[in-house]
Amino acid sequence: MGSFNMTDSPMKPSARGMVLEIQRMSTEDGPGLRTTVFLKGCPLACDWCHNPESISPKPQLVWQGTGCIGCGICIETCENNALSLTPGGVVINRDLCQGCGHCADQCPSLSITLLGVTWTAQDLVKELAKDRAYFQSSRGGVTLSGGEATLQHEFSLEVLKGLQAQGIHTALDTCGMTAISILEKLLGHTDLLLFDIKEMDETRHKSFTGASNAIILENLMQLPGLLKKHPTELWIRTPIIPGATDRDDNIRSMGSFIALHLKDTVCRWELCAFNTLGKDKYTRLGKTWAHETTLPMEKRRMDNLVETALESGLDRAIVVHTGATRPISP
Amino acid sequence: MNPVMEKNQSKKISPRIQWLRDYYFSGNKRKWNNEYTVWSTGTPWDLQYHEFTYYIVPEAYLMFDVMRGGYAQAARTIPVEKDFFNQSISQRRAAFVKEVMVNHLPQEILPGDLIAGGRFNVLTSMCLTQKEQADYNKRILGKSGVRAKVKWFHDHGYGNAGATSGHLLPGHGQVLKLGWKGIHQQITEQLVSLGNGSPAGPKAAQLRAMLTASTMARDLAEKYSRVCIRLMESETNGTREKELKQMAQNLTRVPWEPADDFWEAVQALWINHMLVMSDENYPGPGVSLGRMDQYLLPYWEKSKADGMDREFAKEILKCFWIHCNTAYDATIRCGNQGITAGYGQLITLSGMGADKKDLTNELTYMILEVIDELSPILEPKPNVRLHRGAPEKLYDLCIDMISTSQGAPFLLNFDERSMAGMLLQGQKGEIPGLINENNVHDYAPVGCLENTMVGNDRSGTVDNNLNILKAVERVLTRGKDLIPYTDPMTGKKEKITQEGPDTGDPASFTCFDQFMDAFKIQMAFIVQQCADLYELSESLRNDYFATPYLSCLVKGCMESGRDVTQGGAQISFTTLEAVTYATTVDSLLAVKHLVYDTKTCAIAQLTAALKNNWKGHEILQAQAKNRAPKYGRDDDAADSLARQVMEIFCNETWKHKTRSTNRQFRPGMLSWNYWAGDGHVMAASADGREQGQFLSNAICPSNGADINGPTANSNSVGKVLGGKLAQDTGDFKAFVNDLPNGASHTITFNPSLLKDPDHRNKFKAFLKGYNENGGTALQINMLDPDMLMDAQKNPGDHRHLLVRITGYNAYFTSIGKELQDEVIKRISHGQF
Repeated sequence: MGSFNMTDSPMKPSARGMVLEIQRMSTEDGPGLRTTVFLKGCPLACDWCHNPESISPKPQLVWQGTGCIGCGICIETCENNALSLTPGGVVINRDLCQGCGHCADQCPSLSITLLGVTWTAQDLVKELAKDRAYFQSSRGGVTLSGGEATLQHEFSLEVLKGLQAQGIHTALDTCGMTAISILEKLLGHTDLLLFDIKEMDETRHKSFTGASNAIILENLMQLPGLLKKHPTELWIRTPIIPGATDRDDNIRSMGSFIALHLKDTVCRWELCAFNTLGKDKYTRLGKTWAHETTLPMEKRRMDNLVETALESGLDRAIVVHTGATRPISP
Repeated sequence: MNPVMEKNQSKKISPRIQWLRDYYFSGNKRKWNNEYTVWSTGTPWDLQYHEFTYYIVPEAYLMFDVMRGGYAQAARTIPVEKDFFNQSISQRRAAFVKEVMVNHLPQEILPGDLIAGGRFNVLTSMCLTQKEQADYNKRILGKSGVRAKVKWFHDHGYGNAGATSGHLLPGHGQVLKLGWKGIHQQITEQLVSLGNGSPAGPKAAQLRAMLTASTMARDLAEKYSRVCIRLMESETNGTREKELKQMAQNLTRVPWEPADDFWEAVQALWINHMLVMSDENYPGPGVSLGRMDQYLLPYWEKSKADGMDREFAKEILKCFWIHCNTAYDATIRCGNQGITAGYGQLITLSGMGADKKDLTNELTYMILEVIDELSPILEPKPNVRLHRGAPEKLYDLCIDMISTSQGAPFLLNFDERSMAGMLLQGQKGEIPGLINENNVHDYAPVGCLENTMVGNDRSGTVDNNLNILKAVERVLTRGKDLIPYTDPMTGKKEKITQEGPDTGDPASFTCFDQFMDAFKIQMAFIVQQCADLYELSESLRNDYFATPYLSCLVKGCMESGRDVTQGGAQISFTTLEAVTYATTVDSLLAVKHLVYDTKTCAIAQLTAALKNNWKGHEILQAQAKNRAPKYGRDDDAADSLARQVMEIFCNETWKHKTRSTNRQFRPGMLSWNYWAGDGHVMAASADGREQGQFLSNAICPSNGADINGPTANSNSVGKVLGGKLAQDTGDFKAFVNDLPNGASHTITFNPSLLKDPDHRNKFKAFLKGYNENGGTALQINMLDPDMLMDAQKNPGDHRHLLVRITGYNAYFTSIGKELQDEVIKRISHGQF
């Protein structure tokens, strides 16, 4: 077991879980048509994250102006005086906001919402099974994503078990920053593991994500053994972030690592091009985004990185790049 | 040239078809066209425009007098025999239409065309005597005439009803097999069976009219045969000369004789089809062609065996396709090739056969290729029938076509759900001999997507369009209009009067169930009102407008000696289409949520807000819009109320029959364009909608309400139709469908869903899931930049638009302008 200790997690293990969002008819999180559950809370805080509302394990209040009618009910409702109406809209004082959600309960237009809803595993499985007719013919199913699903491992386990009991294909999307015992427990009920490797250089990893990659890489090395015990398909996913992870040396060394440790185990390695559309999500959370002005990857560069990845001797058929790119440098 | 067309230049198309298509798209500039010509018997009272077929087109109401007068002025006279007016109306019309088509309308063939049959858009005399015409006018005009009643019904927000032409499937397969000669023989036998000599009575008169009509196609074909010979004689190109020779030969045989090969069959089909439009004086809406790939297959197989080239067979079909589009020429001077709305000469491809066997064949694929290569031609509209056993190749091809359709409509029908509805019609309509488990697979849609049987069925699929939202309004107002009707010209407000039953002061209702009880009573009443209104034009058509040629192609007419307009079809129904379904359901959900569940407001406050179009009640409106549950999210509680509304509507519909023609009403959901137009007529509704905003379309959730995506949306639709039985028998018997007519369902998808083979497979999984969980038919639209730009302006209507770009997802309307522009840019450039 690695040095990562689950008791550090702010989540208490329980059959209830904190869900950010349920995304039906998802096409980007594994094979076939899927329902993806974004769980709240992540041990990493990647500075490029395009779903920043998934990082905190706590419910978070956001205001979005589109439907707001300026009635001020939220401001009257808040017992902590955390809200104020400005010419630019409702402003949330995050030092005062306790995340109780009373204002969101009263907002007539749903302009103030509390991100993060508690579900019981049982109810969630029932909800997720609603689309089984669409999963069946395409090897689709449910993907537990995040945030980081292993942070809420007891809940995730119950959900995965419940889904498998109904014959629904399950995928687990992880950043790998978890105890190997937890991973093993979940793998027993997972048909597909989506494992992220972002950065091989430890210092850089720490600076990009806030944590060392030691546990992640150690877990990866143990995967072949685990997957033998719990037969599960493995996909590796790498976010390609301009000016950060998009270096040849990073991809080359990642390729060597995968070829060395996971050659017979990995079925697909996706290089996922940086997504530029996160800005408003940061604004709504009262944050600024380090990558606000970063441009999308060039297509040619993504093609080149695939070639770099292939220098490792991995099978050409398994390395692909995904996501939006721009054709030529402006 | 049409700008859309230019994108398709690379598609495989011969110089012949290229020329015909370019010529077609040159529209007004064409030397030849198929514009209406008008023909009169020459009597001073004669009328050609029968307005009742347009009572379902509110835009036309103010034009009726202009049309009546204008067309009458433009009419050319054809003198009639002395004893003409002693015959039955049906006999007169049979003779007059035939005279126009064979002896007066010019017969022309365009260069290179392989199919003869040019002009067919005509308005012919109603052929009435002075007395008959006076009675007709009396019933139509004036304060208590049908026209005024139809207008009242529309102006007060109820919808519309009228006996409309088209919208059926003539027995084309049968006529190809028998030839008109065979039909003629059958009519003669029927006539003989009535007695020796010359039997009298309406039945005999109808049969004589049909006998006259049954030689119209023969005589017209002979004329066209002569045109071919004439052209052949001056033709210098050897290949074309041979073609014309063959065409002339074909036309001496068909449609009178049974078709022998593919060319003959397509030629016969065209003449038979176009003459339906001439006979009804109706340029095509819903005059559908049915399962073309099935009934043309034997002829293609024969010709193939005889050595016909596959591409040449497609060339013949392409000529047929171009001909179908000339239906729009009726009003070509209005511009845009005369296209005002899609006409829906619907063709049906593939589908289940007996014993669940899939019927996809070589011709299915050939026809799909024709459609693809001719794109963006509008007619005939394709509808592909999918089912559990549909082949992968067919799915893949349809999806490829959807992905390259550039927004052209592509309609899919789902057999199991559709067939369950048709079986219900067999039971409810007490015609198990005509629709049952052994023959239901032969069904096909007409018009937009309305399911009917083939060759013996007129189900009046667009005849009654009722805004069921009115029943909610009437509960709130105790049976009156909520807002007074204002005359747009004088600005004068009409006095509000008691129209329906007083279901009591809603403030006295102690629970939502009492509200629903009152809703049921009001629904029963508005359905009755609609049926009563329909009766007025139905009986008028029954008395004064016969279509004997069409009647020859619809089984039952000959046997009963009644015209198809007199309820002669074996399956003679009329359809009540519920309009505003989701708006109605969402309004009820809002009443339940706001007044009874959360006690946010008293019912009087809600009524006052609606009366004032929500002005001064913005908070309540926002609550109604956003906090009340909505249909279309796969929310079981909301959908169960929706199901209840479905059952109430259907039960009331089945209670009615037309009095003059004994046609049973059946339920459906189709909203044509009413959901947009009537949004201005209807008062604000409890779901938060303001007067002037769109109503919901057919069975679709309200605009923007389906925030859980296409699968949740589809699940809701399947549930409200009745879902499936707990025991899946593996075929259509496991499905429940309360709407035999079917229900129009449109979903817009993000084009990224079709960007590569992997994603197209995912889309295929959606369609297969839809077959299990969804409705009867699906219209697929692709998200386009225009829609996104509209969403920028009107975010409330587009809350459901989800932008999904590799792992990132956000509702389009929830992101800032700058990012929205970025997304629009990407979608415009095909970068996802």
